[in-house]
Amino acid sequence: MELFLLFTMVIGLMLIGVPIAVSLGLSSILFLLIFSDSSLASVAQTIFEAFEGHSTLLAIPFFILASSFMSTGGVAKRIIRFSIALVGHFRGGLAIAGVLACMIFAALSGSSPATVVAIGSIVIAAMRQVGYTKEFAAGVICNAGTLGILIPPSIVMVVYAAAVEVSVGRMFLAGVIPGLLAGTMLMIGIYVMARVKNMPSGEWLGWREVYESFNDAVWGLSLIAIIMIGIYGIPGVTGAIFTPTEAAAVASIYAFIVASFIYRDMGPLAGSDGEARKSLLRNPQALLTAFWHEDTRRTLFDAGKLVVTLMFVIANALLLKHVITDEQLPQKITEVMISYGFGPVMFLIIVNIILLIGGQFMEPSGLLVIVAPLVFPIAMELGIDPIHLGIIMVVNMEIGMITPPVGLNLFVTAGVANMSMMGVVRAALPFLAIMFVFLILITYIPWISTVLPNAVMGPEIMMK
Amino acid sequence: MEQSGSWLDRIEENIIALILGIMTLLTFANVVARYVFNSNIFWALELTVFLFAWLVLLGASYAVKKTSHLGVDAIVNMLSTDKRRVLALVSALICILYALLLLKGSWDYWAPYANLPPTEGRWFPTGFVDNFRGRGWYETQDIPVPFFLRWLEDAFNQGAEYEKMPKVVPYLVMPLSMSLLLFRFIQAGIAIWKGKIDMMIVSHEAEDDVDKANKAMAASEVK
Repeated sequence: MELFLLFTMVIGLMLIGVPIAVSLGLSSILFLLIFSDSSLASVAQTIFEAFEGHSTLLAIPFFILASSFMSTGGVAKRIIRFSIALVGHFRGGLAIAGVLACMIFAALSGSSPATVVAIGSIVIAAMRQVGYTKEFAAGVICNAGTLGILIPPSIVMVVYAAAVEVSVGRMFLAGVIPGLLAGTMLMIGIYVMARVKNMPSGEWLGWREVYESFNDAVWGLSLIAIIMIGIYGIPGVTGAIFTPTEAAAVASIYAFIVASFIYRDMGPLAGSDGEARKSLLRNPQALLTAFWHEDTRRTLFDAGKLVVTLMFVIANALLLKHVITDEQLPQKITEVMISYGFGPVMFLIIVNIILLIGGQFMEPSGLLVIVAPLVFPIAMELGIDPIHLGIIMVVNMEIGMITPPVGLNLFVTAGVANMSMMGVVRAALPFLAIMFVFLILITYIPWISTVLPNAVMGPEIMMK
Repeated sequence: MEQSGSWLDRIEENIIALILGIMTLLTFANVVARYVFNSNIFWALELTVFLFAWLVLLGASYAVKKTSHLGVDAIVNMLSTDKRRVLALVSALICILYALLLLKGSWDYWAPYANLPPTEGRWFPTGFVDNFRGRGWYETQDIPVPFFLRWLEDAFNQGAEYEKMPKVVPYLVMPLSMSLLLFRFIQAGIAIWKGKIDMMIVSHEAEDDVDKANKAMAASEVK
């Protein structure tokens, strides 16, 4: 009963426009003061320990920073060019290239809205120019953009790993095959639609263009290699080199170097207003000035601001998690579920529904911090693999982002494509159907998620 | 609420950028130390974690000032301007209550580490505790004390030497950030009262990026 009040209060506060972080935090504080004997000092301690006690979360600011440096415009353009060179000549080629570009960009950044903005702002305009409808273009990007949280590195996965204490490395690996699968399913869907509706196809520009565009994009693409090789090592050659947090920090530094000194899209060497980019050899002082150049400061600040708003929600969500675990809520729910004879299938459907609804209202990472500790012990009781559960939750959140009425990606796409919300909702529907099929596959075939982490990192040792 | 680009904005922005930059460089330097110099900056991780906490907690009040805390605006947007204003005022009061409670909690949490008395009272401070045990001698695990902070030993440890940074320093951010947060929430409440802003929240994290992308696209269409 008290717990019901708690959740009603959280949702009620959110709906009247209180910041999510405060809704979570204040409800938990009031609950603790009224129904338990915790003091306010211990609340403050829990908030500080959101950082002190969860060094896994430290990967988040660095992944956000790396993706900010990579989003300076130039990298997205190069990736799109490379994707077009590869698959642009199929029927519906530009749309397929858009999906491919989203997949590649998702491997550079950990967030879905960021992927939609970076790829969508270029591809949607390009698709309209060659004769696709605006709706089709928006629908494609809106869906493919959700891959941002499924293809590693992913901020949502880091949050899941921190909330239920599984390995971030495992979660990232588990996302690889589902991510590729979802991308392929979307591409096939587009190809079929393009055949039926006779959509335009680009020209095959030859292997030369493939080579040249790859050459141009390779600096951005190697960030993926740095992260993956860094975390997992090269089988047979070297073991893991970095922790995921360190990999993210190295990726940020690398992205900074690529953006300021190689691509020169930002920093002291960037050409402003059509001016040619400056040569590093003629401006060696740039090696130093790049560190406090306005563009660097701006990127650091933008990334920092995003970190602040996300982490403030997560810190308060961890406070709520603290309440949930103290009250042994998961154990209570497990008892009820088992007494009603619910099996794993029914349980997973319930998880699906909770997340689909919750994903409507809340930022995915915050939602995960609250829901994961609630359902995790139940899942363990029912014998569901923790990594598999994580992937299911991530895929649910992806779909939550594109389900009307208030999916996060719908908003972003509406902004980028300059369309009404309802327009994007209608445009996204056919692809949403594909994603639902994908969700069913992921939920009921654990193999897709667990095969890769188990193969690379050995079978998981379960601790109850 | 305030004109953009005031000197105070600039300072706050620089602090946010600087902390994130230092965190990144520090973690990177630790990797370099491990592989290139075969050693370890043993205090790097702990310091980075504290900087992380400082970044987010201090940044939270900046986010209030710029109305960039995440929230749900779906319902609020359907209401008339008058009703929206009432709800916004209610949310401001709720936020102020949150900051007040946490400010008391933060003080009670931090004060013993500074050999200061925590407050009495469960909800609101009713006075100071007479009998308390100072924790000025609590130290962090790894972080060394830089020379310019040696005065801390006289101030909090009766002159006895600190081997590591005392906890009073990293935990200071709690009362500091919560006072700032309270101040900014009150400011935001006043701004809503006067009708200068109509909400405490933005709807999603990428709102700024979308604006920027739109401007960039509009600019390219003009060309």
